[in-house]
Amino acid sequence: MKYIAQVDGLEFPIEILDEHHICFGGEIIEVDLAAVSGQPLYSLIVNGESYEGYVYPDEQSWQVLLLGRSYSVSIEDEREKRLRTTLTSIVGPGNEYILKAPMPGLAISVPIDEGQKVEKGQILVILESMKMQNELRAPFTGKVARLKIKVGESVHQKQILLNLVSPHGPISSITEHK
Amino acid sequence: MFKKILIANRGEIAVRILRACRELGIKTVAVYSTADRQALHVRNADEAYLLGPSPARDSYLRGDKIIDIARKCGADAIHPGYGFLAERADFAAACESAKLVFIGPKASSIATMGDKAVARATVAKAGVQVVPGSEGEGSLRDDELLAYAPKIGFPLIIKAVSGGGGKGMRDVRTLEEMPELIQSARREAESSFGDGNVYLEKLVEGARHIEFQIMADQFGNVIHLGERECSIQRRHQKLIEESPSPYLSNDQPLRQQMGVVAIQAARAVDYANAGTIEFLLDTNRNFYFLEMNTRLQVEHPVTEMVTGMDIVAEQIRVAFGWKLSRKQEDIRWRGAAIECRINVEDPYNGFLPSSGRITLTQPPTGPGVRIDSGVYQGFEISPYYDPLISKMIVWGETRPQAIMRMRRALEEYKIVGVRTNIPFHQTIMDTYPFITGKYDTRFVEEQFSMLDAVENREMYLDIAALMATLVANVQMEHRTQKYEKTAQNSTWKWAGRQTRSNR
Repeated sequence: MKYIAQVDGLEFPIEILDEHHICFGGEIIEVDLAAVSGQPLYSLIVNGESYEGYVYPDEQSWQVLLLGRSYSVSIEDEREKRLRTTLTSIVGPGNEYILKAPMPGLAISVPIDEGQKVEKGQILVILESMKMQNELRAPFTGKVARLKIKVGESVHQKQILLNLVSPHGPISSITEHK
Repeated sequence: MFKKILIANRGEIAVRILRACRELGIKTVAVYSTADRQALHVRNADEAYLLGPSPARDSYLRGDKIIDIARKCGADAIHPGYGFLAERADFAAACESAKLVFIGPKASSIATMGDKAVARATVAKAGVQVVPGSEGEGSLRDDELLAYAPKIGFPLIIKAVSGGGGKGMRDVRTLEEMPELIQSARREAESSFGDGNVYLEKLVEGARHIEFQIMADQFGNVIHLGERECSIQRRHQKLIEESPSPYLSNDQPLRQQMGVVAIQAARAVDYANAGTIEFLLDTNRNFYFLEMNTRLQVEHPVTEMVTGMDIVAEQIRVAFGWKLSRKQEDIRWRGAAIECRINVEDPYNGFLPSSGRITLTQPPTGPGVRIDSGVYQGFEISPYYDPLISKMIVWGETRPQAIMRMRRALEEYKIVGVRTNIPFHQTIMDTYPFITGKYDTRFVEEQFSMLDAVENREMYLDIAALMATLVANVQMEHRTQKYEKTAQNSTWKWAGRQTRSNR
C-alpha cells in the first residue's frame, strides 16, 4: 500500500511492503511497530533506532506526540480517499452553528430559551467540569433554533447542546471556545 | 499517639496522608463518594465508609456525616488534607465539640486567616506589608465593589473571601467588564466553597509568587522550612513549584527576612500545625503578604525533598500534642526539588479537562524521582473533582540536575486513556526563562506558547510521519477485515472458507 504522509508542509511518500519493510525515500527500511499494552501508545524501531509515541486519530489527520512535541500528520491513500468521500457530513446548513460540549460536565446554568435571540458573546451555557466553570458564549448574533440541554443535566464531550442560526446568511468560520 | 485517623479527602492527598499514618503505625479510615468506590484511597485504607453521591456537596463537603462516621468507627482524629473542608473553621470547631482532634490549626486561626479580609488586616497590624485591597470594607455588594474598584485602580483581581486554588478568582482590566466577572467569580466561589463573598485586590504585575512553609506546635514554637517558588501558574492555578526559589538563591538576606516575617504572621494568629504564608515579590524585590493557607499544601513534597522532613507525619505529631521534632537551627536545606502537577488537561486543546478510563499508566522510577498519585491503571476519572491526578517531584544536587532529571522522568511517564498536561511540562522544561529561573506569574499566560517554545527542540518529522502511517495502515487493515467478516452471513461458511484457504 502506498501512502503520502504530510507533516509541517513536507510530504513523505511511504510504501508499505510487508509487516516489517517499507520503502521510504527510495530506500527499503526495516521497521517494527508495536502497540504498548493497548493503543494509542506505540513503540517503533526503525533500523535499530527506538522511539515511543502516542498516535491519536484527529478529525482530518493524526496527532503524534513524540519526545515532548506534537505533530499533525495527514495521510492520503486511494482507499481512504474513497472512504472519506462516502462519509456523510453532520455539519448543518451554512447559517447554522452547532454548539457541542467541549468537555464532559454538568450544565449548571442555561440562561436562554429556545427561540430566543442572542447577542454575540452572550452566555449560552455554563458548564462545570473539574470544579471549573466554563462559559460557552454565542459566536455571533442569532437565534437559538433548538435547545437540547437543561440545567442540572450531565453531558458527554461533543454532545450537541444547542443550534444557533444566523439571520445574516452563512457563517464563514466557526468560533472556537476557550 | 493516635490509634485511628479518618482522612476526609480523596485522590493523591488522601493516599499521601494514608502513607504517613501507616508509617506511624496508625489505623486509617477512608471516606468516599459513589464515583470513588474504586479509588486508591478507599482500597488502601484499613476502613472505608460511603459518604454519598458524587458531587462534592453531597459527599466530601458533608462535614456532619464525616464527623458521624469518625465517632462511630472510633477514630481519634480527622485529617482534612487540602480543599474540601480543610479551611472551614466551622468544621474544625465541630470536630472539637465531637471530641475529635482536627489535624490542623485551631478553628479561630482558620477563621482569621480563612477570611482573607481579616487575615490581611491582622498581619498588617503586626507590621507586615499587604497588597492594597478592599478588605477593610467588609462584605461588599456588587454596586459597592464597582464603586470601590477605581480606588484600587486597574488591573485588579476579584477574589473569593473563602477562596483558594484559583477558584472564584477573576482578573479585571476595565470597569466595563467588571459586573459580569463579579457574577462568575461569585458563582464559582459559591459552588466551590459555599460562600459567594468576594473582595478586590490590586494585581501586582511582573510579580513572583513565593511562599514559606510554616510548622508550629501547641507550645508556641514556630519554625519555617524555607520557601517554595510557585510562579508557574495558569489562571491562578499553580502548575510547577520548586524549592529553593532561583530568585532568592543569591539573596540570602531577603530569604531570611521573609522567613522572619512569615513566622511573625503565623504568630499573629497564634498558629499551630502546618501552614503556608504566601508572598508576592515585585520587580523591585519588595514583598507583600498575600494570604495564609491554614492547611497542608499540594506542593509540600518539594519542601520535604530539600529538608528531609515528613511534613504530614509532623502535622500528626504536633496535633497529638508533641513538640516540634526540630528547631529552626536544625533545619538544613540540601539540593533542589521541582514538582510538576499532572492534570488531566490537554495542552494542545486549550487545556480542556479530559475524563475517562486510564488504560495504561507507567510512572517513572529511578534516582531522585517521587510520584504522589491517586490513580492506577483501569481507574475511571470522573468529571466531578479536581483535574490533578498525580504529582511528580524530582530532587537533584543542583537545580540544573533537577531539571535534567525532570525532563528524563517526564519522557518516561506514560499515561494512556486520558490526555494529560505532561507535554506542557516538557515544553516548560525547555524554555529559556524556566532554565534561567527568570520567570514571573504571568509567564505561562502571556509569554508562553506550546508552539514557540519548542523551536529549539530537535524535530522528528520523518519519524512522526512514519509512525502515523504505520498506525493508519494497521487500522485500515483492521477495518477492511472487519468489513469482509461482517459481509459474510454465516460464520460457519466463513470458517469453512478459512480452513480451505489454509490448506
